[in-house]
Amino acid sequence: MGIVIAVISGKGGVGKTTATANLGLGIAMNGKKCVVVDFDIGQRNLDMILGLENRVVYDMVQVMDGEASLKQALIKSKANENLHFLAASQSKDKSVLDSQKVEKLIAELKKGFDFIILDAPAGIESGYEHTIEFADAAIVIVNPEVSSIRDADRAIGILDSKSAKVKAGEDVAKYLIINRIVADMVESGEMIKSDDILEILNIKLLGKVPEDRGVIDASNQGKPVILDKKSIAGQAYTRITGRLCGQKVDMKDIEVSDAGIFKKLTGMFK
Amino acid sequence: MLLKSTQYSIKVFETTITDEIEFMDFFDNNYTLFKDHLIVIKGECSSSIKEYLKSKELTYLNDITLPKGRTRKALEEELKAQNVDAAVLAQIAQSELDKLSNQLQNNLTVLDEIVRSGRELEIKGDLLLLNRVNSGATITTNGNVIITKVVEGAIRCSGNFMMLTASPKANIIFHGVEVDNTLLEDRLNRVELKNNEIIITPVLKKEINWAL
Repeated sequence: MGIVIAVISGKGGVGKTTATANLGLGIAMNGKKCVVVDFDIGQRNLDMILGLENRVVYDMVQVMDGEASLKQALIKSKANENLHFLAASQSKDKSVLDSQKVEKLIAELKKGFDFIILDAPAGIESGYEHTIEFADAAIVIVNPEVSSIRDADRAIGILDSKSAKVKAGEDVAKYLIINRIVADMVESGEMIKSDDILEILNIKLLGKVPEDRGVIDASNQGKPVILDKKSIAGQAYTRITGRLCGQKVDMKDIEVSDAGIFKKLTGMFK
Repeated sequence: MLLKSTQYSIKVFETTITDEIEFMDFFDNNYTLFKDHLIVIKGECSSSIKEYLKSKELTYLNDITLPKGRTRKALEEELKAQNVDAAVLAQIAQSELDKLSNQLQNNLTVLDEIVRSGRELEIKGDLLLLNRVNSGATITTNGNVIITKVVEGAIRCSGNFMMLTASPKANIIFHGVEVDNTLLEDRLNRVELKNNEIIITPVLKKEINWAL
């Protein structure tokens, strides 16, 4: 039986879909069978970031409605054979989802995969609630800025009240990825420190991803940045997915810029 | 053997005499008001005044020290001087605790969960919250509020007192009046209503024991 992880953020544009693509690929690269599902009905993006847009024939709404089988709709990634993808419908909207259909789909996916990663839509409407309803765990993506943190806080609050697991008296595991950190902006106090974000949100830190210009190009090319061994964001996702797959990977302090380290070192000899 | 004694609570009129004629006029006019008071004359008291008070059958005392209210700090300093720190400080703490429990209302709700953005908590009675109130959350109570971690959201309290640590982002309204955040120190603050005025007192470290 696989584990279902919802990738959530509350606010849009913080890098949720990019994170989902990289997490899915990273898990697959660790030898685990993984499926990423785009739950952003009506605003399908994940197919492009995974470089699979021309392969989509059937989407998850058609599977839920019985118009196509799951096998027909699942798309195997070119980058790694362990990674599969289930597309969102681009033509319908979020109102087509209903709890029973979602539960059935997820139950079916759990049989065939070790990890089921759900890319939640931005916002906290019904589409979001359906994404988190049957999740075993959630990965929260935030940027080090106040609006992203507050929206994530709200999304966690809804997760804690609407999830089926919580209703059954269990806990939903929640992990935090802090995305797009710029070290010298954290040092100068323009960006919020990780410790402060953790204090506010009070969930476990899964990893920190530095700002990396390569991410945009990687998305445009449909090759998630984790494939680029030189990319600092890609390295961060490699560490994060290692942790998800049970390896012990130390937290790398990406909030100190090289200039900062240099200053510290020179400071020692003064 | 027990000493036989009786304890009275009496009203005292304390004054200093500057003009004897004025003083006697005042007592002639307000005799009914003060006839049952103990008259305390501070400073000089001439024989003619003594005669006058005796003729009016007024009870009086001259030059005594009456017990007065004082600040807690002064009391502590005095106690320190007497070198009985520990025992007496415990006693002060106990009396503060009594004061607190006197002010507590009913239905104490104890919560230990983050109050996250978007949550609107409405509490009937007192609230003891052992966690944060995040930006975008609102707590409304008609009783007292004690919050032991940082408040960044909104608090609406109409109880006898609040005790909290607030960030500058917080929006705190006590009895319909917005509390000026800059007056709150970066530690527990007691906010209470005294004589229709909101009084903010930072809670000292040694008091935290009972606040928690």
